Amino acid sequence: MLTLTSPVETWAHGLPAGAKLAALAIATTSLFLLDAPLTLAAALGATVLLYLTGGARFALAGLRLLRPLWPFVVIVGLWHLWTRDLSGGAVILMRMVAAVGLANFVTMTTRLSDMLAVIERLARPLSRFGVAPRRLAIAFALVIRFIPVMLDRLDEIGASWRARSPHRPRWRVLVPATLAALDDADRTAEALRARGGAG
Amino acid sequence: MAEPSSGIEIAAASVRLGGRLVLDGLELHLTEARIGVLGRNGSGKTTLLRLIAGLIAPDAGTVRVDGCDPFTDRRAALAALGILFQNPDHQILFPTVEEELAFGLAQQGMTQAEALARAHQALQAEGRAHWAKAPVTSLSQGQRHYLCLMAVLMMAPRTILLDEPLAGLDLPTQARLARRFAALPQRLVTITHDPATVQTCDRVLWLDDGRIVADGPPGTVLPAFIAEMARIGGQDADADLAG
Repeated sequence: MLTLTSPVETWAHGLPAGAKLAALAIATTSLFLLDAPLTLAAALGATVLLYLTGGARFALAGLRLLRPLWPFVVIVGLWHLWTRDLSGGAVILMRMVAAVGLANFVTMTTRLSDMLAVIERLARPLSRFGVAPRRLAIAFALVIRFIPVMLDRLDEIGASWRARSPHRPRWRVLVPATLAALDDADRTAEALRARGGAG
Repeated sequence: MAEPSSGIEIAAASVRLGGRLVLDGLELHLTEARIGVLGRNGSGKTTLLRLIAGLIAPDAGTVRVDGCDPFTDRRAALAALGILFQNPDHQILFPTVEEELAFGLAQQGMTQAEALARAHQALQAEGRAHWAKAPVTSLSQGQRHYLCLMAVLMMAPRTILLDEPLAGLDLPTQARLARRFAALPQRLVTITHDPATVQTCDRVLWLDDGRIVADGPPGTVLPAFIAEMARIGGQDADADLAG
Protein backbone atom coordinates (compact mmCIF):
# COMPACT_ATOMS: atom_id res chain seq x y z
CA MET A 1 0.00 0.00 0.00
CA LEU A 2 1.56 3.21 -1.14
CA THR A 3 -0.63 5.65 0.68
CA LEU A 4 1.59 5.93 3.70
CA THR A 5 0.02 8.95 5.35
CA SER A 6 -1.46 7.69 8.61
CA PRO A 7 -5.22 8.11 9.03
CA VAL A 8 -4.58 8.53 12.79
CA GLU A 9 -4.33 12.30 13.26
CA THR A 10 -1.35 13.21 15.45
CA TRP A 11 -0.01 16.57 16.61
CA ALA A 12 2.68 16.25 13.92
CA HIS A 13 0.07 16.23 11.11
CA GLY A 14 -0.44 19.94 11.73
CA LEU A 15 3.22 20.97 11.39
CA PRO A 16 4.35 22.43 8.06
CA ALA A 17 5.86 19.80 5.75
CA GLY A 18 8.92 21.93 5.00
CA ALA A 19 9.79 22.23 8.71
CA LYS A 20 9.41 18.47 9.21
CA LEU A 21 11.62 17.69 6.24
CA ALA A 22 14.28 20.17 7.38
CA ALA A 23 14.23 18.69 10.90
CA LEU A 24 14.51 15.23 9.38
CA ALA A 25 17.54 16.28 7.34
CA ILE A 26 19.27 17.67 10.46
CA ALA A 27 18.37 14.65 12.60
CA THR A 28 19.59 12.16 9.98
CA THR A 29 22.86 14.02 9.50
CA SER A 30 23.39 14.03 13.27
CA LEU A 31 22.71 10.29 13.44
CA PHE A 32 25.56 9.73 11.00
CA LEU A 33 27.89 12.00 12.94
CA LEU A 34 27.19 10.24 16.25
CA ASP A 35 28.94 6.94 16.92
CA ALA A 36 28.80 6.38 20.68
CA PRO A 37 26.48 3.42 21.36
CA LEU A 38 24.87 5.13 24.36
CA THR A 39 24.07 8.33 22.43
CA LEU A 40 22.59 6.33 19.59
CA ALA A 41 20.55 4.26 22.03
CA ALA A 42 19.22 7.54 23.41
CA ALA A 43 18.39 8.71 19.87
CA LEU A 44 16.57 5.46 19.16
CA GLY A 45 14.72 5.81 22.47
CA ALA A 46 13.71 9.34 21.51
CA THR A 47 12.40 8.06 18.16
CA VAL A 48 10.27 5.45 19.95
CA LEU A 49 8.93 8.13 22.31
CA LEU A 50 8.13 10.32 19.31
CA TYR A 51 5.98 7.52 17.86
CA LEU A 52 4.28 6.91 21.20
CA THR A 53 3.11 10.55 21.34
CA GLY A 54 0.85 9.59 18.41
CA GLY A 55 -0.80 6.83 20.44
CA ALA A 56 -0.41 3.06 20.48
CA ARG A 57 -2.22 2.41 17.17
CA PHE A 58 -0.04 4.95 15.38
CA ALA A 59 3.16 3.52 16.95
CA LEU A 60 2.20 -0.01 15.91
CA ALA A 61 1.57 1.13 12.34
CA GLY A 62 5.01 2.74 12.43
CA LEU A 63 6.57 -0.48 13.67
CA ARG A 64 4.93 -2.39 10.81
CA LEU A 65 6.49 0.01 8.30
CA LEU A 66 9.94 -1.01 9.58
CA ARG A 67 9.39 -4.60 8.48
CA PRO A 68 11.26 -4.23 5.15
CA LEU A 69 14.42 -3.57 7.20
CA TRP A 70 14.72 -7.08 8.64
CA PRO A 71 17.04 -8.59 5.97
CA PHE A 72 19.50 -5.76 6.61
CA VAL A 73 19.24 -6.28 10.36
CA VAL A 74 19.98 -10.00 9.90
CA ILE A 75 22.93 -9.46 7.54
CA VAL A 76 24.54 -6.66 9.58
CA GLY A 77 23.87 -8.57 12.80
CA LEU A 78 25.41 -11.82 11.54
CA TRP A 79 28.43 -10.02 10.09
CA HIS A 80 29.20 -8.27 13.36
CA LEU A 81 28.65 -11.46 15.38
CA TRP A 82 31.16 -13.15 13.09
CA THR A 83 33.69 -10.34 13.42
CA ARG A 84 32.92 -10.13 17.19
CA ASP A 85 32.32 -6.38 16.86
CA LEU A 86 29.08 -6.25 18.82
CA SER A 87 29.13 -2.56 19.70
CA GLY A 88 29.99 -1.66 16.07
CA GLY A 89 27.01 -3.73 14.88
CA ALA A 90 24.71 -2.18 17.47
CA VAL A 91 25.77 1.32 16.35
CA ILE A 92 24.96 0.60 12.70
CA LEU A 93 21.63 -1.06 13.50
CA MET A 94 20.45 1.62 15.91
CA ARG A 95 21.45 4.34 13.46
CA MET A 96 19.64 2.61 10.61
CA VAL A 97 16.44 1.91 12.54
CA ALA A 98 16.34 5.43 14.01
CA ALA A 99 16.98 7.09 10.63
CA VAL A 100 14.35 5.03 8.78
CA GLY A 101 11.96 5.40 11.72
CA LEU A 102 12.26 9.19 11.65
CA ALA A 103 11.83 9.32 7.88
CA ASN A 104 8.71 7.12 8.15
CA PHE A 105 7.40 9.37 10.91
CA VAL A 106 7.56 12.37 8.58
CA THR A 107 5.93 10.38 5.76
CA MET A 108 3.16 9.13 8.04
CA THR A 109 2.30 12.59 9.33
CA THR A 110 2.49 14.53 6.05
CA ARG A 111 -0.17 14.65 3.37
CA LEU A 112 1.16 13.81 -0.07
CA SER A 113 0.04 17.13 -1.54
CA ASP A 114 1.95 19.01 1.20
CA MET A 115 5.04 16.95 0.43
CA LEU A 116 4.55 17.80 -3.25
CA ALA A 117 4.27 21.49 -2.42
CA VAL A 118 7.71 21.31 -0.77
CA ILE A 119 9.15 19.48 -3.78
CA GLU A 120 7.59 22.14 -5.98
CA ARG A 121 9.21 24.91 -3.93
CA LEU A 122 12.62 23.22 -3.83
CA ALA A 123 12.49 22.50 -7.56
CA ARG A 124 11.78 26.12 -8.41
CA PRO A 125 15.44 26.85 -9.36
CA LEU A 126 15.19 24.00 -11.89
CA SER A 127 12.64 25.97 -13.91
CA ARG A 128 15.62 27.88 -15.32
CA PHE A 129 16.64 24.61 -17.04
CA GLY A 130 13.20 24.01 -18.46
CA VAL A 131 11.90 21.67 -15.71
CA ALA A 132 8.51 22.96 -14.54
CA PRO A 133 8.23 22.37 -10.75
CA ARG A 134 4.47 21.79 -10.90
CA ARG A 135 4.97 19.07 -13.50
CA LEU A 136 7.60 17.41 -11.36
CA ALA A 137 5.23 17.42 -8.37
CA ILE A 138 2.37 15.97 -10.44
CA ALA A 139 4.72 13.29 -11.77
CA PHE A 140 5.48 12.19 -8.19
CA ALA A 141 1.76 11.99 -7.38
CA LEU A 142 1.06 10.01 -10.55
CA VAL A 143 3.76 7.45 -9.71
CA ILE A 144 2.24 6.92 -6.27
CA ARG A 145 -1.27 6.69 -7.71
CA PHE A 146 -0.44 4.33 -10.55
CA ILE A 147 1.92 1.78 -9.02
CA PRO A 148 -1.01 -0.04 -7.34
CA VAL A 149 -3.02 0.25 -10.58
CA MET A 150 -0.19 -1.34 -12.56
CA LEU A 151 0.26 -4.12 -10.01
CA ASP A 152 -3.47 -4.87 -10.34
CA ARG A 153 -3.10 -4.91 -14.11
CA LEU A 154 -0.19 -7.36 -13.77
CA ASP A 155 -2.41 -9.62 -11.64
CA GLU A 156 -5.21 -9.45 -14.22
CA ILE A 157 -2.87 -10.39 -17.05
CA GLY A 158 -1.48 -13.24 -14.94
CA ALA A 159 -5.03 -14.40 -14.21
CA SER A 160 -6.09 -14.38 -17.86
CA TRP A 161 -2.92 -16.33 -18.69
CA ARG A 162 -3.65 -18.95 -16.03
CA ALA A 163 -7.29 -19.18 -17.15
CA ARG A 164 -6.08 -20.66 -20.43
CA SER A 165 -2.75 -22.25 -19.60
CA PRO A 166 -1.59 -24.91 -17.15
CA HIS A 167 1.83 -23.22 -16.90
CA ARG A 168 2.77 -20.19 -14.84
CA PRO A 169 3.19 -17.07 -16.98
CA ARG A 170 6.42 -15.79 -15.32
CA TRP A 171 8.30 -13.25 -17.51
CA ARG A 172 5.82 -13.60 -20.36
CA VAL A 173 3.42 -11.18 -18.67
CA LEU A 174 5.98 -8.42 -19.06
CA VAL A 175 5.26 -7.51 -22.69
CA PRO A 176 1.46 -7.29 -22.27
CA ALA A 177 1.95 -5.49 -18.96
CA THR A 178 4.25 -2.94 -20.61
CA LEU A 179 1.76 -2.38 -23.42
CA ALA A 180 -1.04 -2.01 -20.88
CA ALA A 181 1.07 0.54 -18.99
CA LEU A 182 1.62 2.55 -22.19
CA ASP A 183 -2.12 2.39 -22.86
CA ASP A 184 -2.81 3.59 -19.31
CA ALA A 185 -0.31 6.40 -19.86
CA ASP A 186 -2.28 7.58 -22.91
CA ARG A 187 -5.53 7.57 -20.97
CA THR A 188 -3.96 9.36 -18.03
CA ALA A 189 -2.60 12.03 -20.35
CA GLU A 190 -6.13 12.46 -21.66
CA ALA A 191 -7.61 12.66 -18.15
CA LEU A 192 -5.00 15.29 -17.24
CA ARG A 193 -5.84 17.28 -20.36
CA ALA A 194 -9.55 17.03 -19.59
CA ARG A 195 -8.96 18.78 -16.29
CA GLY A 196 -6.49 21.47 -17.21
CA GLY A 197 -3.27 19.68 -18.14
CA ALA A 198 -0.10 19.29 -16.12
CA GLY A 199 0.91 22.95 -16.35
CA MET B 1 -22.90 28.62 -14.95
CA ALA B 2 -24.28 32.14 -15.14
CA GLU B 3 -22.73 32.84 -18.52
CA PRO B 4 -24.92 32.37 -21.59
CA SER B 5 -24.37 29.01 -23.23
CA SER B 6 -24.59 28.93 -27.00
CA GLY B 7 -24.22 25.17 -27.00
CA ILE B 8 -22.10 22.78 -29.02
CA GLU B 9 -21.60 23.59 -32.70
CA ILE B 10 -19.94 21.05 -34.97
CA ALA B 11 -19.46 21.96 -38.63
CA ALA B 12 -18.28 19.52 -41.33
CA ALA B 13 -16.11 17.76 -38.74
CA SER B 14 -14.22 14.62 -39.71
CA VAL B 15 -11.82 12.56 -37.60
CA ARG B 16 -9.42 9.90 -38.84
CA LEU B 17 -7.83 7.47 -36.43
CA GLY B 18 -5.10 5.18 -37.73
CA GLY B 19 -6.14 5.90 -41.34
CA ARG B 20 -9.80 4.98 -40.70
CA LEU B 21 -12.50 7.63 -41.07
CA VAL B 22 -14.18 7.45 -37.66
CA LEU B 23 -16.35 10.58 -37.90
CA ASP B 24 -17.48 11.64 -41.33
CA GLY B 25 -18.47 15.27 -41.95
CA LEU B 26 -20.68 15.75 -38.89
CA GLU B 27 -23.02 18.77 -38.74
CA LEU B 28 -24.56 19.30 -35.32
CA HIS B 29 -25.87 22.12 -33.20
CA LEU B 30 -26.69 20.92 -29.71
CA THR B 31 -28.53 23.27 -27.37
CA GLU B 32 -30.90 20.97 -25.48
CA ALA B 33 -30.43 20.29 -21.76
CA ARG B 34 -30.36 16.50 -22.08
CA ILE B 35 -28.79 14.99 -25.18
CA GLY B 36 -28.21 11.30 -25.82
CA VAL B 37 -25.79 9.83 -28.36
CA LEU B 38 -26.70 6.27 -29.17
CA GLY B 39 -24.64 3.82 -31.19
CA ARG B 40 -23.06 0.40 -31.36
CA ASN B 41 -19.47 -0.38 -30.38
CA GLY B 42 -17.20 1.21 -32.96
CA SER B 43 -19.85 3.63 -34.24
CA GLY B 44 -17.62 6.59 -33.37
CA LYS B 45 -19.57 7.79 -30.34
CA THR B 46 -16.60 7.87 -27.96
CA THR B 47 -14.59 9.71 -30.61
CA LEU B 48 -17.42 12.24 -30.89
CA LEU B 49 -17.29 12.75 -27.14
CA ARG B 50 -13.52 13.25 -27.20
CA LEU B 51 -13.91 15.66 -30.10
CA ILE B 52 -16.47 17.75 -28.20
CA ALA B 53 -14.30 17.64 -25.06
CA GLY B 54 -11.32 19.01 -27.00
CA LEU B 55 -9.20 15.96 -26.26
CA ILE B 56 -8.67 15.50 -29.99
CA ALA B 57 -8.81 17.99 -32.88
CA PRO B 58 -10.91 17.35 -36.00
CA ASP B 59 -8.96 16.53 -39.17
CA ALA B 60 -11.41 18.72 -41.06
CA GLY B 61 -14.18 21.09 -40.00
CA THR B 62 -14.64 22.97 -36.73
CA VAL B 63 -15.91 22.37 -33.20
CA ARG B 64 -17.16 25.21 -30.98
CA VAL B 65 -18.38 24.85 -27.43
CA ASP B 66 -20.05 28.03 -26.16
CA GLY B 67 -18.22 29.85 -28.94
CA CYS B 68 -14.70 28.57 -28.14
CA ASP B 69 -12.54 25.91 -29.74
CA PRO B 70 -12.23 23.30 -26.98
CA PHE B 71 -9.00 21.86 -28.41
CA THR B 72 -6.95 25.05 -28.59
CA ASP B 73 -8.57 27.16 -25.86
CA ARG B 74 -8.21 24.82 -22.89
CA ARG B 75 -8.93 27.49 -20.29
CA ALA B 76 -12.31 28.24 -21.81
CA ALA B 77 -12.92 24.53 -22.35
CA LEU B 78 -12.43 23.81 -18.64
CA ALA B 79 -15.12 26.31 -17.70
CA ALA B 80 -17.43 25.06 -20.45
CA LEU B 81 -17.00 21.30 -20.25
CA GLY B 82 -16.47 18.45 -17.85
CA ILE B 83 -16.09 14.86 -18.93
CA LEU B 84 -16.86 11.70 -16.99
CA PHE B 85 -14.91 8.78 -18.41
CA GLN B 86 -16.38 5.32 -18.56
CA ASN B 87 -13.71 3.79 -16.32
CA PRO B 88 -13.05 5.85 -13.18
CA ASP B 89 -9.55 4.39 -12.96
CA HIS B 90 -8.77 6.18 -16.20
CA GLN B 91 -9.87 9.44 -14.64
CA ILE B 92 -8.59 9.41 -11.06
CA LEU B 93 -5.13 10.92 -11.01
CA PHE B 94 -4.32 11.23 -7.32
CA PRO B 95 -3.80 8.79 -4.46
CA THR B 96 -6.28 10.31 -2.01
CA VAL B 97 -9.86 11.59 -2.34
CA GLU B 98 -9.16 15.17 -1.23
CA GLU B 99 -6.22 15.54 -3.60
CA GLU B 100 -8.25 14.19 -6.50
CA LEU B 101 -11.00 16.71 -5.80
CA ALA B 102 -8.60 19.62 -5.30
CA PHE B 103 -6.63 19.06 -8.51
CA GLY B 104 -9.14 20.50 -10.98
CA LEU B 105 -9.68 23.61 -8.85
CA ALA B 106 -5.93 24.19 -8.58
CA GLN B 107 -5.76 23.88 -12.37
CA GLN B 108 -8.45 26.56 -12.60
CA GLY B 109 -6.18 28.92 -10.66
CA MET B 110 -7.06 28.35 -7.00
CA THR B 111 -4.26 27.92 -4.46
CA GLN B 112 -3.78 24.39 -3.14
CA ALA B 113 -5.01 25.40 0.34
CA GLU B 114 -8.20 26.96 -1.04
CA ALA B 115 -8.75 23.98 -3.31
CA LEU B 116 -8.40 21.55 -0.41
CA ALA B 117 -10.78 23.61 1.71
CA ARG B 118 -13.34 23.56 -1.11
CA ALA B 119 -12.86 19.80 -1.48
CA HIS B 120 -13.64 19.33 2.22
CA GLN B 121 -16.72 21.55 1.94
CA ALA B 122 -17.97 19.58 -1.04
CA LEU B 123 -17.45 16.26 0.75
CA GLN B 124 -19.25 17.64 3.81
CA ALA B 125 -22.18 18.77 1.67
CA GLU B 126 -22.44 15.28 0.18
CA GLY B 127 -22.33 13.66 3.63
CA ARG B 128 -18.96 12.12 2.82
CA ALA B 129 -16.57 14.16 4.97
CA HIS B 130 -14.91 10.94 6.14
CA TRP B 131 -13.75 10.24 2.58
CA ALA B 132 -11.30 13.17 2.55
CA LYS B 133 -8.13 11.32 3.46
CA ALA B 134 -9.16 7.90 2.19
CA PRO B 135 -6.88 6.33 -0.43
CA VAL B 136 -8.75 6.13 -3.75
CA THR B 137 -7.85 2.43 -3.95
CA SER B 138 -10.08 1.78 -0.91
CA LEU B 139 -13.23 3.04 -2.70
CA SER B 140 -15.64 0.64 -4.40
CA GLN B 141 -16.30 0.94 -8.14
CA GLY B 142 -19.54 2.86 -7.53
CA GLN B 143 -17.80 5.16 -5.04
CA ARG B 144 -15.06 5.88 -7.59
CA HIS B 145 -17.70 6.87 -10.14
CA TYR B 146 -19.18 9.16 -7.53
CA LEU B 147 -15.77 10.67 -6.78
CA CYS B 148 -15.18 11.34 -10.47
CA LEU B 149 -18.58 13.03 -10.75
CA MET B 150 -17.83 15.20 -7.71
CA ALA B 151 -14.44 16.16 -9.15
CA VAL B 152 -16.14 17.24 -12.39
CA LEU B 153 -18.99 19.09 -10.65
CA MET B 154 -16.57 21.05 -8.45
CA MET B 155 -15.06 22.61 -11.57
CA ALA B 156 -18.59 23.93 -12.33
CA PRO B 157 -18.69 23.32 -16.08
CA ARG B 158 -21.77 24.34 -18.09
CA THR B 159 -21.89 21.02 -19.95
CA ILE B 160 -20.97 17.54 -18.73
CA LEU B 161 -20.11 14.74 -21.14
CA LEU B 162 -20.90 11.24 -19.85
CA ASP B 163 -19.37 8.14 -21.42
CA GLU B 164 -21.51 5.05 -20.69
CA PRO B 165 -22.22 6.50 -17.24
CA LEU B 166 -24.14 3.51 -15.87
CA ALA B 167 -22.32 0.59 -17.50
CA GLY B 168 -20.93 -2.02 -15.15
CA LEU B 169 -22.60 -0.67 -12.01
CA ASP B 170 -25.03 -2.58 -9.81
CA LEU B 171 -28.69 -1.58 -9.93
CA PRO B 172 -28.87 0.51 -6.71
CA THR B 173 -25.75 2.42 -7.77
CA GLN B 174 -27.24 2.94 -11.23
CA ALA B 175 -30.45 4.27 -9.73
CA ARG B 176 -28.60 6.64 -7.39
CA LEU B 177 -26.33 7.99 -10.12
CA ALA B 178 -29.20 8.36 -12.59
CA ARG B 179 -31.14 10.35 -9.98
CA ARG B 180 -28.09 12.51 -9.37
CA PHE B 181 -27.64 13.15 -13.10
CA ALA B 182 -31.32 14.02 -13.52
CA ALA B 183 -31.10 16.69 -10.82
CA LEU B 184 -28.05 18.46 -12.30
CA PRO B 185 -28.61 21.96 -13.72
CA GLN B 186 -25.91 21.38 -16.35
CA ARG B 187 -26.39 20.36 -19.96
CA LEU B 188 -25.65 16.63 -20.16
CA VAL B 189 -24.44 14.76 -23.23
CA THR B 190 -24.72 11.04 -22.57
CA ILE B 191 -23.20 8.49 -24.92
CA THR B 192 -24.26 4.87 -24.63
CA HIS B 193 -25.23 1.74 -26.52
CA ASP B 194 -28.21 1.25 -24.21
CA PRO B 195 -31.48 2.93 -25.29
CA ALA B 196 -32.85 2.79 -21.70
CA THR B 197 -30.15 5.21 -20.51
CA VAL B 198 -31.28 7.98 -22.90
CA GLN B 199 -35.05 7.52 -22.90
CA THR B 200 -35.64 10.67 -20.84
CA CYS B 201 -33.39 12.86 -23.03
CA ASP B 202 -34.75 15.85 -24.96
CA ARG B 203 -32.91 14.80 -28.09
CA VAL B 204 -31.27 11.57 -29.19
CA LEU B 205 -28.67 11.19 -31.93
CA TRP B 206 -28.14 7.75 -33.45
CA LEU B 207 -24.60 7.42 -34.68
CA ASP B 208 -23.47 4.65 -37.00
CA ASP B 209 -20.21 4.33 -38.89
CA GLY B 210 -19.30 7.92 -38.07
CA ARG B 211 -22.54 9.42 -39.43
CA ILE B 212 -25.82 10.52 -37.91
CA VAL B 213 -28.51 8.01 -38.87
CA ALA B 214 -31.35 9.58 -36.92
CA ASP B 215 -31.76 12.72 -34.85
CA GLY B 216 -34.88 13.58 -32.87
CA PRO B 217 -36.88 13.00 -29.72
CA PRO B 218 -36.43 9.60 -28.04
CA GLY B 219 -40.03 8.72 -28.95
CA THR B 220 -39.09 8.48 -32.63
CA VAL B 221 -35.37 7.53 -32.52
CA LEU B 222 -35.43 4.80 -29.89
CA PRO B 223 -38.05 2.46 -31.47
CA ALA B 224 -36.18 2.61 -34.80
CA PHE B 225 -32.85 1.96 -33.07
CA ILE B 226 -34.20 -0.97 -31.05
CA ALA B 227 -35.81 -2.53 -34.13
CA GLU B 228 -32.59 -2.18 -36.13
CA MET B 229 -30.46 -3.65 -33.31
CA ALA B 230 -32.85 -6.61 -33.06
CA ARG B 231 -32.62 -7.11 -36.84
CA ILE B 232 -28.79 -7.05 -36.80
CA GLY B 233 -28.70 -9.30 -33.74
CA GLY B 234 -30.84 -11.83 -35.56
CA GLN B 235 -28.25 -12.10 -38.31
CA ASP B 236 -24.68 -13.34 -38.01
CA ALA B 237 -23.55 -10.16 -36.26
CA ASP B 238 -19.95 -9.08 -35.79
CA ALA B 239 -18.36 -11.14 -38.54
CA ASP B 240 -17.15 -8.13 -40.53
CA LEU B 241 -13.79 -6.62 -39.71
CA ALA B 242 -13.40 -2.87 -39.44
CA GLY B 243 -11.29 -1.29 -42.11
